[in-house]
Amino acid sequence: MIWVDLANATINGIVIGLLLALPALAVTLVFGIARFPNAATGDFMTFGAYTVVAAKSLLALPLAIGVAMACALTALLSLFFYWWVFRALVRRSPVASLIVSIGIALVVRSTITFFAGQSQYTIEVPLVRAWNFDGVRIVPTDLYIAGVAVTALVLTFCLLHLTPLGRRMRAVADNMELARASGINVGRVMITLFAIVGFYCGLGGVLIGIKAVVLPELGWELLLLLFAAVILGGIGSPLGAIIGMLVFSVSQEIASLWVGASYKIVFAFFLLLGVLLLRPQGILGKVRAVR
Amino acid sequence: MVESFGFNRRQFGGLVAGLTASLGAGSAWAQNTRPFKLGALNSITGAGGVYGPGMLEAIKLAVKEVNDAGGAAGRKFEIFAEDDQTRADAAVLAAKKLVEITKVEAIVGIWPSAVQLAVMPITNAAGIITMNTSGAPEIDENDKLDLVWQFYGSNVIFGRAFAETVRKLGYKRPGVMAFNNATMLAQARYFQKTWEEKGDKVVDFIPYEPNQTSYRTELDRLLSKKPDIISASSYLPDLTIILKEWYQSGIPCKFIAPGWSANETLARTLGADVVDGILSVSNVPATQNPAFKHFSSAFKAATGREPETFAAASYDMVICLALALQAAGAEATPAQIASKIRTVAEQPGKKVSSFAEGRELLLKGEKIDFDGASAPLTFTPEGRSTPDFGIYEFQKDKLVLKEVIRLT
Repeated sequence: MIWVDLANATINGIVIGLLLALPALAVTLVFGIARFPNAATGDFMTFGAYTVVAAKSLLALPLAIGVAMACALTALLSLFFYWWVFRALVRRSPVASLIVSIGIALVVRSTITFFAGQSQYTIEVPLVRAWNFDGVRIVPTDLYIAGVAVTALVLTFCLLHLTPLGRRMRAVADNMELARASGINVGRVMITLFAIVGFYCGLGGVLIGIKAVVLPELGWELLLLLFAAVILGGIGSPLGAIIGMLVFSVSQEIASLWVGASYKIVFAFFLLLGVLLLRPQGILGKVRAVR
Repeated sequence: MVESFGFNRRQFGGLVAGLTASLGAGSAWAQNTRPFKLGALNSITGAGGVYGPGMLEAIKLAVKEVNDAGGAAGRKFEIFAEDDQTRADAAVLAAKKLVEITKVEAIVGIWPSAVQLAVMPITNAAGIITMNTSGAPEIDENDKLDLVWQFYGSNVIFGRAFAETVRKLGYKRPGVMAFNNATMLAQARYFQKTWEEKGDKVVDFIPYEPNQTSYRTELDRLLSKKPDIISASSYLPDLTIILKEWYQSGIPCKFIAPGWSANETLARTLGADVVDGILSVSNVPATQNPAFKHFSSAFKAATGREPETFAAASYDMVICLALALQAAGAEATPAQIASKIRTVAEQPGKKVSSFAEGRELLLKGEKIDFDGASAPLTFTPEGRSTPDFGIYEFQKDKLVLKEVIRLT
């Protein structure tokens, strides 16, 4: 029944991959447009998850409103830090922004633990049994999670490729100075970017909170994985980030059928090494000329 | 869902101030010897916040009992309480304060292994005694100076308790899942070893990585071998995810897990449908001992609830320490006091169940064997006393005690 195990592992990998594709997309968008690796991505996710916990337990709001609130508040949080810190660092070296983003990550996480403590929370959704097709099991909750993630991802691609705003974002990503000279308001593009990033981090955090448990380290622990997936897919390429994440998580799950669970992460990173040896720019990355 | 900490920091501060004041008032009794400074390093907030306040209360009750009897070797106990927030970094700061500024001679009431391991270098360097309810086998291995004392079962013994229980309940095909760290792997391996001693085999042994979003593939791999019970050496967050995914899979199987993860919080999180029938193993206090009976009534009078094992163990720490101080004499160093801890709790001494009783016999030059509230207190060469194991089962979302077993 090897194919049953394979199918189950693949399904699980796809669900996790789609879910983590949201923050991976956030990482790659910031990298492509604002040109720095945003280490606060993980903790924005944590913030989103805790927002839902607070909305449900303190305000007794229904889940859907809680999720909307989490996305909106995380977007505001992300905008706040852009307005306060990253805006001033736009012309500096990306290293400055990276270090600052690590600081922001710490601030967000410590603030959360100050109010919520270290103990675990859960986002309660009714637990339902999986549909069983001769051993291949699909959990309805996972379908909803994957559905939400896919919808959000499709919307971003529509935004990026079908709207004037998306064209401006891509123009800034391509060459910020040239975009500015052509009359594009770079500040407005950045505001849109950080709002989208916050929205996706919040949504991703909530989905992970529903699937797993809500802990202060929820997002931070995923950061390495997110960066690795983005590199695998090609830095700055939105579709690449999603493909990278899917390849990463599906290969991890399939690997854990044969190698010990402790080695599944190692296996995924070996895959990353292999891909980078053949395609140093990542699966969908473009080679950039150095000026 | 939100854990009740019972105390906030301000209340805690007030409590400590009140405590010091009340101790001051009690010292009207003239004495010439200096007080014995006792550090209480409890997990008042954080994950251990469920147990910490009760442990501090037990320490206060024991200190009162010692001081009411006139102190140990003429020295009255003075408590200095600190909150370690169930975090190693906060604990190190608190321990430094206790050791370097307050200059305590012993620290009692440590709950998590992480805290005990983090403060051990500080307390060992200062040559002072620490007493804990921690399960990490590394503590036993690294306590070269014999200053660290454990009043709770080691995770290794827990593994054996799991295997004995599973066998007794008639399961034939156990599978093992373990959180991949030294402590939990040790527990799981000991389960496997105990199980396979009689020629049986575990169906599979699957260690899993910490901090994963999903453990479904690991779980599927184990479930495909058709185990009738899974021994989960887990912490609360990972056990929550595993049980969620197991329930969703719809595959029938039982689980046995340690009491620090299979507890009321788990039941509240997952609901009665999921946890019903899951077995939970934890140390239980020695309810038949006279020491437990008088401690428990004093504890109930002070807090309005039954003491759990951690509180009973904290009470025993102070009484053991006081008896050892009594035996070692007022001028003894902490190391000399530590060397007497075994002798006040071992056969063939005369059984005693309170400080006053023990002190009287020690003054007459007799040998004593203190039987505590948490256990009969027989310390291994590594300095560990193991209370009895209670096997609980969730009936709906309530934990019900099925039986008590003794392992040493």
